[in-house]
Amino acid sequence: MSLSTQSRTVAGRSTTPPGGEPRRKRQLLGKNPFGLLLSAPYLIFVLAVFAYPLVFAFWMSFHDYFFAAPGVDVDRPFVGLDNFREVLADPAIIRSFGNVGIFLLINVPLTVVLSLVLATALNKAVRFRTFLRVAYYVPYVTASVAVVGVWIFLFSGNGLVNQILGPLAPDPAWLINENWAMPTIAIFVTWKGLGFFILLYLAALQNVSEELYEAASTDGAGKIRSFFSVTVPGVRPATVLVLLLSTVTGANLFTEPYLLTGGGGPNGASSSPVLMMYQRGIEQGSPDSAAAIGVILVIGVLILAFVQRKLAGGDES
Amino acid sequence: MHSNGMARRILTVTAASATVALALSACASGGSTGDAATNRGPITIWYSNNETEIAWGKQMVEAWNAENPDEKVKAQEIPAGKSSEEVIGAAITAGNAPCLVFNTAPVAVPQFEKQGGLVDLSSFEDGAAYIEERSGDTAAQYQGADGKYFQMPWKSNPVMIFYNKDMFTAAGLDAENPQLATYDEFLATSRTLVESGAAPNAIYPAPTSQFFQSWFDFYPLYAAETGGTQLIEDGEATFNAEDGAKVAEFWKTLYAEGLAGKEQYQGDSFADGQAAMSIVGPWAVSVYKDAVNWGAVPVPTSEGTPVEETYTFSDAKNVGMFTACENQATAWDVLKFATSEEQDGQLLELTGQMPLRETLPTVYPEYFAANPAYEQFGDQASRMVEVPNVSSSVAAWQAFRDAYTKSVITGEGDIPDALDSAAEKINALIAKP
Amino acid sequence: MSRAQNILRGVVLTVGALVFLFPFYYMVIGSLQAEPDPTVAGAFPNPANLTLDNYGDINSRINLLQGLLNSGIFTGGVILCTVVFGVLVGYALAQLQWRGRGVTFALALLVQVVPFQLLMIPLYVMIARDYGLADNYVGMILPFAINSTAVIIFRQYFLQIPKELFDAARIDGAGELRILRRIALPLVRPALLTVVLLTFIGPWNEFLWPFLITKEASLQPLAVSLANYLSNVAATAANPFGAVLAGACVLAGPAVLLFILFQRHFVSNNIGSGVKG
Repeated sequence: MSLSTQSRTVAGRSTTPPGGEPRRKRQLLGKNPFGLLLSAPYLIFVLAVFAYPLVFAFWMSFHDYFFAAPGVDVDRPFVGLDNFREVLADPAIIRSFGNVGIFLLINVPLTVVLSLVLATALNKAVRFRTFLRVAYYVPYVTASVAVVGVWIFLFSGNGLVNQILGPLAPDPAWLINENWAMPTIAIFVTWKGLGFFILLYLAALQNVSEELYEAASTDGAGKIRSFFSVTVPGVRPATVLVLLLSTVTGANLFTEPYLLTGGGGPNGASSSPVLMMYQRGIEQGSPDSAAAIGVILVIGVLILAFVQRKLAGGDES
Repeated sequence: MHSNGMARRILTVTAASATVALALSACASGGSTGDAATNRGPITIWYSNNETEIAWGKQMVEAWNAENPDEKVKAQEIPAGKSSEEVIGAAITAGNAPCLVFNTAPVAVPQFEKQGGLVDLSSFEDGAAYIEERSGDTAAQYQGADGKYFQMPWKSNPVMIFYNKDMFTAAGLDAENPQLATYDEFLATSRTLVESGAAPNAIYPAPTSQFFQSWFDFYPLYAAETGGTQLIEDGEATFNAEDGAKVAEFWKTLYAEGLAGKEQYQGDSFADGQAAMSIVGPWAVSVYKDAVNWGAVPVPTSEGTPVEETYTFSDAKNVGMFTACENQATAWDVLKFATSEEQDGQLLELTGQMPLRETLPTVYPEYFAANPAYEQFGDQASRMVEVPNVSSSVAAWQAFRDAYTKSVITGEGDIPDALDSAAEKINALIAKP
Repeated sequence: MSRAQNILRGVVLTVGALVFLFPFYYMVIGSLQAEPDPTVAGAFPNPANLTLDNYGDINSRINLLQGLLNSGIFTGGVILCTVVFGVLVGYALAQLQWRGRGVTFALALLVQVVPFQLLMIPLYVMIARDYGLADNYVGMILPFAINSTAVIIFRQYFLQIPKELFDAARIDGAGELRILRRIALPLVRPALLTVVLLTFIGPWNEFLWPFLITKEASLQPLAVSLANYLSNVAATAANPFGAVLAGACVLAGPAVLLFILFQRHFVSNNIGSGVKG
């Protein structure tokens, strides 16, 4: 943890409880133990609700496990890394990880760039402001189940998109084309999720002071210049957040491949790790394999998040 | 600093969680029932939430409750589709499954059995006898290992080929005696339908890769071609032989020539006029009767088979009794009541689906006389093939479907090779305990 | 800010908005049609084809009001818990130094990263059996109660507030509680709105969990009733595609309404001036 720039004098002036050993206590619980108090409800919630399933899932991945009725005697031997070996040897699963990589490569940069640009523009727009903002938010609120039908129709063999493209349209149409299935899904998810990230940026933009823009224009910077020198650095913490959240939700992609390509798509070209987890764990009754996939996925995402933090520069934590 | 910090934090989190988890599991109750097999009392049942089945379910429950005020049945609806398996599986694990589920898919039964969730119906004194008397020879397909019955065969939807008479007429084909008995005839008819512009697609089964989709393209034709062989028999895959290859090649031709759609269709392609034929069971009659002027024939075989000898897929839904049930004696009586001749008749009337009762047409002659549209289904119901009752059946079907979508729908690779490698995978899967 | 640039920006934004809205627009049109029209011309409504029957169809099959009420209770409960407790955690994570701060943030991240499908069954077993909360609003709300994304957003938001504001208050001798009430909370309004609008959607559209946890039809939120209707609609409705779209419009309606009502509060806050002088 990097140290904050809190001045030393402030620390010395913190409230000290009457009597007792104030210095010791401060070191034991940190400078502001009040923070612990504030976070207690959340911590209790997480531990009470998620701790058991999380640890259980992790434990399952190392055992030969399936769910059984209570009171049933079942042999559940520890199998070490067997589940992991089996899962990593399956080409369908490797493919699903590859697919999600392609997805992230398209979705994340597109999301970050588009949402910032759009949020900036929406922030300044005055006329029809409500209509415009609602327009960008609406895809986010509609349940995927409903919108999917429209997209399938738009991107079908003789759908609107192909009719516009004419001879440029790919031969097996988008969603049944091995090469285009995942990118199509990536575009769908980007479109659908932008509302969320635009909102995040909109909120962050409220904190970029007008004076900075004025200073920049006094210095002779044009719109584009001030965008890059004022806006982008000004919302950097939000950018870090957008990067993180879009990566995390992207890695957990499930509903869209399932609905848009009805399963794993042409030869598994649009399957995702969570889809595989669903198939193995819930449809086929092998939650141990599903847990193994899940553990690998979580580790992968945490590594990605860590790398992003290094590259994008972390916030003060 | 960051990397160490992060890793250390994750470890701390896991350790803290583990402590809590241990504490919680100590609180978890084991829960054991008394002698559930002979207890009587109120029970809960689930049935599917489609309209006609709800109608049947409600009248059945009312009829029972009127005569048995001390053993009342409470009914709840669950979704008919794939998520019903999730819900039932979760309920088994939590120990709060209902006594009876009138929506148990045969493909899920081996899994529920493995979980220890299902009651062996043959453990009741008249269990096996009742089932076999009602369903006759078909009952054998629903037995588990050791000949035990972990499900009560309930109703089926024998799959046949529906065709749109108006489209056939528009294409210049005979709408009353369509040429659909052999593969060659079927292909020729399909080509005429599409080329004449009468229909955008000749037939349009779902081309997606969920494990159960093969039940509505490959499997019915395979059942017909082999005269009643299941996908897996005696612990081994059967489909990677000549018959299976023929069926696969037939479908491949349909897809390759653009006679069957390769893209997912939202809605019912036959009812919407996007396909001239559809391959489905009698539940569709109530859907199509206003939308399409339809006729039905059995599924084709390569050389042609007489109607009275053609097999098909049953698309059955059965009833399971679950071990979480505390009043199993009552549940068994309710089950017998719900599958009695009277209630089966009600099922037929209200839903148009075929109870898995032997010699249906002779038991309900008035119904079939009054509803001639269902007559051929009643007859077809005596020649059906069920999904094989093996462990890891869902995984096996998924493996099959993956090979099928690749080699048949997308048309890549050699069919015998694809079937062979699928068979290998499946044999390994079902060999596991 | 030349006029030409303004107009250009306006045009680009509007075109983008139309592209964004198009599938939704198509959905609304589709839900109003008596016969599904899969051709391109169907995008431009033929007045003769318009009808409210699809909505009537849904209303006759599922109890829309009850579903809306349940969705409201479910979503409302989640938003309440998230906003109240999330703000506290976000503030604590961002501006206070305390032991366990890093662990808490790591937890919030971990909860986000792990897919729900992995946790679903053990979670169900725990809540239904061990906590005994099946067929119960609390059981429905529990896994969603405090949205970890919201926590991360609040934290991010508080990080952007200059530390000097708080330091100044501490130097003036204000207690932590006072700082929280007088300075941190009033500043958080834009983030609050954002969080409400963003965490609304999760529970509002959630199908699987409420369905798992309760079988009583009278407790089920609208998303569940609609999903059930969707899976059975082919058998009964006159225009299945239209009915599905009508259902989706009904589900999306309140969310859009909420947004329209709240988004005007996204105005610049000019915190910068609070620091100077």
